[in-house]
Amino acid sequence: MRSTRIAVLGTVAALALGACSSGGSTTSEGDDAQGDGELTLWLAGNDTPEELTDWLVEEFESTTDGTLTVERVDWGELLPRLQTSLGNADETPDVVEIGNTQSPTFTNVGAFTDLTDHLDALGGDDLGPEGFIEAGSVDDSVYAVPYYWGSRYVFYRTDLLEAAGIEPPTTLEEFNDAAVALTTDTQSGFWLPGQDWRNGISWVFANGGDIAVKEGDQWVGQLSTPESIEGLTQLQELYTDASKAPKDGEDAEPWTAFNNGDAAMFMAPGWARWSIAEELTENVGAFALPGADGGAAPVFAGGSNIAISKASPDQDLALELLELIMSDEYQTMLAENGLGPANSTFNELMGAEDDEFATAALAAAENAKLTPAAEQWAAVETARIMEEFFAKIAQGQDVTEVAEATDAQLEDALN
Amino acid sequence: MTDVTSAPAPPAALGTPLPRTDVRPDRTNRRRRALVPYLFLAPVATVLLLALGYPLVRQVVMSFQEFGLAQQFGTAEPEWVGLDNYAALVDDATMWGVVARSLAFCVVNAGLTMVIGTAVATLMTQLAGPVRLALQTCLLLAWAMPVIAAMTVWQWLFDTQYGVVNWALVQAGLADFAGHSWLLEPLSFYAVATVIVVWMSVPFVAFSVYAALTQVSDEVLEAAQLDGAGGWQRFRHIVVPTIAPVLSVVTLLQIIWDLRVFAQIYYLQGAGGLRSQTDLLGTYIYNLGIGQSNYGMASAVAMFMLVLTLVLTIGYVRRLAKEED
Repeated sequence: MRSTRIAVLGTVAALALGACSSGGSTTSEGDDAQGDGELTLWLAGNDTPEELTDWLVEEFESTTDGTLTVERVDWGELLPRLQTSLGNADETPDVVEIGNTQSPTFTNVGAFTDLTDHLDALGGDDLGPEGFIEAGSVDDSVYAVPYYWGSRYVFYRTDLLEAAGIEPPTTLEEFNDAAVALTTDTQSGFWLPGQDWRNGISWVFANGGDIAVKEGDQWVGQLSTPESIEGLTQLQELYTDASKAPKDGEDAEPWTAFNNGDAAMFMAPGWARWSIAEELTENVGAFALPGADGGAAPVFAGGSNIAISKASPDQDLALELLELIMSDEYQTMLAENGLGPANSTFNELMGAEDDEFATAALAAAENAKLTPAAEQWAAVETARIMEEFFAKIAQGQDVTEVAEATDAQLEDALN
Repeated sequence: MTDVTSAPAPPAALGTPLPRTDVRPDRTNRRRRALVPYLFLAPVATVLLLALGYPLVRQVVMSFQEFGLAQQFGTAEPEWVGLDNYAALVDDATMWGVVARSLAFCVVNAGLTMVIGTAVATLMTQLAGPVRLALQTCLLLAWAMPVIAAMTVWQWLFDTQYGVVNWALVQAGLADFAGHSWLLEPLSFYAVATVIVVWMSVPFVAFSVYAALTQVSDEVLEAAQLDGAGGWQRFRHIVVPTIAPVLSVVTLLQIIWDLRVFAQIYYLQGAGGLRSQTDLLGTYIYNLGIGQSNYGMASAVAMFMLVLTLVLTIGYVRRLAKEED
């Protein structure tokens, strides 16, 4: 039967084709057409509280001729979706939130609108942190501005520390010792999942190490410098002696174990505060991770930038939306919800002076550091190089060997 | 990830040739009859051409280009690089590791699925009505479950800290499994992935083979039994040859599906697997293209995968076509 043969061949060809087209583009909503005044704002994850987006939608519709749709995109989905939709006028969101470390890749490729001339309307010199603006700039032009920041600090159980006779630590060494001392058969002294590099990297920074630095026009990996190795070795001890968190675990929802009473301390950006179980709150305190010689350790600065898609047909309205986000009302709400406001004049609203959490947040923010401002950094994140590196440290592999191998990988990806 | 593969032609239909009626050797009529099959084919062909042809052409073109984020955003023109992408691909040890893992994964999974699926189908023929219905319902539910929903549950089952698998093993006296990370070691990662992929594919095989088994003539089986053929002999020499066309088609589909497995691996990598040690072709291409914005290289690997799929399946296809003659 010739026809059946053709049918079979056709089916197989179709299947084979289907097999290979699976790596293709992710389709996007494509719900905003040419300059029709319907704006789409992409926010990453659930970090922005509902209250803020509701206000934004209402305010935008009453002060402009446009309408606003807020779409939340998972952090894990954000990069691929931006890559496939930002370049296309039909599919692009008009305004996007983007992780601070992910900004350089998109600003350098020209995906965002130049905001340099509008900076004054957006907050001018009060905009910050400075590192976020740098991450959003190419040469002297600013393409992405800070949206919110959150410094990582340590949450701890006051009752457990008291029972063990331990004072809140003031140096990194004291912290490491306390973490080990608080560990029992069923409880982690310090909860640190294996792939949680965004918290773990603090030990590298605190000991004077770094991820990569630019020498001339080349990025050079710094994970195998003596300072970094010192930090990583301390970290490996914590992984072995103080943390029962999964060695393959990530930084999502670190409060789960804490809320279950399985951990005495954990580290997270400030907004984790709102996820701590209510019955625990009176026994929870906070401090900035102490540095090697006291003070606050340089931790990894979490947070986001925000930018206008260059392909958006509604440039003017998008700018109005951005101004609304930088308005006093919105900045106030950000600060009151524990998100570091882009406009630093609102910092004090993050909590009263006697609020332990606000104090810890501001102390931690002082020394906060960013990942290398390399154009290709997003490739490091999507290839999960840092996650794998820390998982290997957590598994107990040789620190120097793994660090050298990872440096080579970083140089490969960044240059 | 929807594509035509989710709606395969029912394999049973392949075994039933259309009856031919050779009457009225009228010329116009004959011409009309010659046209009819093509008319039926036209809509399918058009859809295929639009939905798959365009991306395929695009992919072929891109595989000869340097195509990255700058090209994607239109700030630079794609640069023709000839066979550079393919040359880089051949030289890349990572790539061959991925290919070897993909082939091994495909063989193990397609094999296990076929064996378990056929066994379940045979079991179904022996079960009483209500029990068979219960089994079929379970299979159907497993088959109908959306991938991501199922994966979420599987991830919970194998969770390091609070997973029920670890809990059960500890309760059974294997204290070592407290806090065991299933996804960290590549082999154990693939074991978990295999369990999930096989679980998801068995229902399709079981139902297809069961449908074929109902066509096996009871008289012939009975006659063989009277002649003294044992259970295994009857299965080997009567049942298998009868359902061979269906087995071939289903095996073919399994090989293709398991070679291009993506969602399960991608999800498990996100749940703890180390990407560089667990990438299969699907996730490798995705990571190259979408992750690192190296669309040119990703297209080249995808072309390689297309050829690999054709090489793996061409034998089957030819045999299938022969069986139809």
